[in-house]
Amino acid sequence: MATAMQQQPYRGGSGYVARSSSSGLYDVLELILDKGLVIDVFVRVSLIGIEILTIDARIVIASVDTYLRFAEAVNRLDLMSTETQGLPELMDGITEGGASSKTKGVLQGAKQALFGDEDEEGDEGDEEGEEGSRTKRRTSSTTAKRRRSSSSSSGSSQRRSKSS
Amino acid sequence: MSATKTDTAKYVYGVIPGSGASPPPGPGIDDAPVAVIPHGGVAALASDVSGDFLEAGREELLRHSRVLEETMEHSVVLPMRFGVVLPDEETVHQRLLGPYGEELEAQLEAMKGKVEITIKGIYDEAAILREVIAEDRSIAKLREAIQGKPEEATYYQRIELGELIAAALEEKRAAAAPPVIDRLAGLAVDVRVGEPVHERMAVNASFLVERSRLEEFDRVVDQIGAEQAGRIQLKYTGPLPPHSFVELGIGG
Repeated sequence: MATAMQQQPYRGGSGYVARSSSSGLYDVLELILDKGLVIDVFVRVSLIGIEILTIDARIVIASVDTYLRFAEAVNRLDLMSTETQGLPELMDGITEGGASSKTKGVLQGAKQALFGDEDEEGDEGDEEGEEGSRTKRRTSSTTAKRRRSSSSSSGSSQRRSKSS
Repeated sequence: MSATKTDTAKYVYGVIPGSGASPPPGPGIDDAPVAVIPHGGVAALASDVSGDFLEAGREELLRHSRVLEETMEHSVVLPMRFGVVLPDEETVHQRLLGPYGEELEAQLEAMKGKVEITIKGIYDEAAILREVIAEDRSIAKLREAIQGKPEEATYYQRIELGELIAAALEEKRAAAAPPVIDRLAGLAVDVRVGEPVHERMAVNASFLVERSRLEEFDRVVDQIGAEQAGRIQLKYTGPLPPHSFVELGIGG
């Protein structure tokens, strides 16, 4: 399917920036749910656990849980080496290619609520999971490198849909 | 509420100009075809959904996003937030296109040729923690005091340590974000700075960029990415319809 991305002549050369188009749902979740025109008079579709997601994320940044995780991470840190240890990822895909772990974070919890229950597969190859988010760079070599879960259409969603 | 009494309702994806409007090729939510509802100078993109709507999950969110993405390939489009459902076509005229028509037309004009790009930056954990330890004696000392001791014995100290780190990161964020945002804002028409939604988020901003300047914008993003390599990982998403830059005032 042609996408707006293909209109861009310059697709980056540095390799330091992770890119994706709007086809990667995780990258646009915030925008779709939180931004855009809305008519107040009409009730929006109720999305259990989703509407509060961004607010929650802010609160959680200043929480005991977060503090304890920071403390743990800083204690584990070997100041001499370059090894990295992960904190929970709230924003999926942001540290693509990094070494962060995928323990449960706030947004991820909400996303499990969202994607865990009904996960019928789409008919147009909607395979984006957190890392598979269709990185649409022209330079396919870097794209391939970034995709941890590549094109198997259910890999990432299965991981996610272990829900509960 | 009463909006869901009838058998079918209209799910609205966005608003496009009324003249020469054509719907995107792909199907909308529930595989329903997306139709154009014209009204003077503007038109809504909508499809039928069941009146007692709506399993809102991955598929629906994707469709919403896809319809807008397809539309923006050939037209300016003002995106609706996900989940706007009106009871019928009549109501789309009466409550959206009628009362807000002029406003929508003006915004369509303003958004012509422009796209939204979101830039997020996350500190590399190890790199930023090393910085924090190196720069802050109290953090370094507390870390040393805790190390090797059992977790139960150091619960409150660990909270204190984490709190100090969070505060230090906040300070770093406050210092790091503005220069990055300013550089990109210089190439953008408009910018919206968001709250951090990640513990290690350094930058979270949306830029409204002229398509004609996108290449230039992208180059600067890459430059910044290279400068920050190993410290802040940048994530670039777009081009997107201008979600962060549209708004309806108090209409009719």
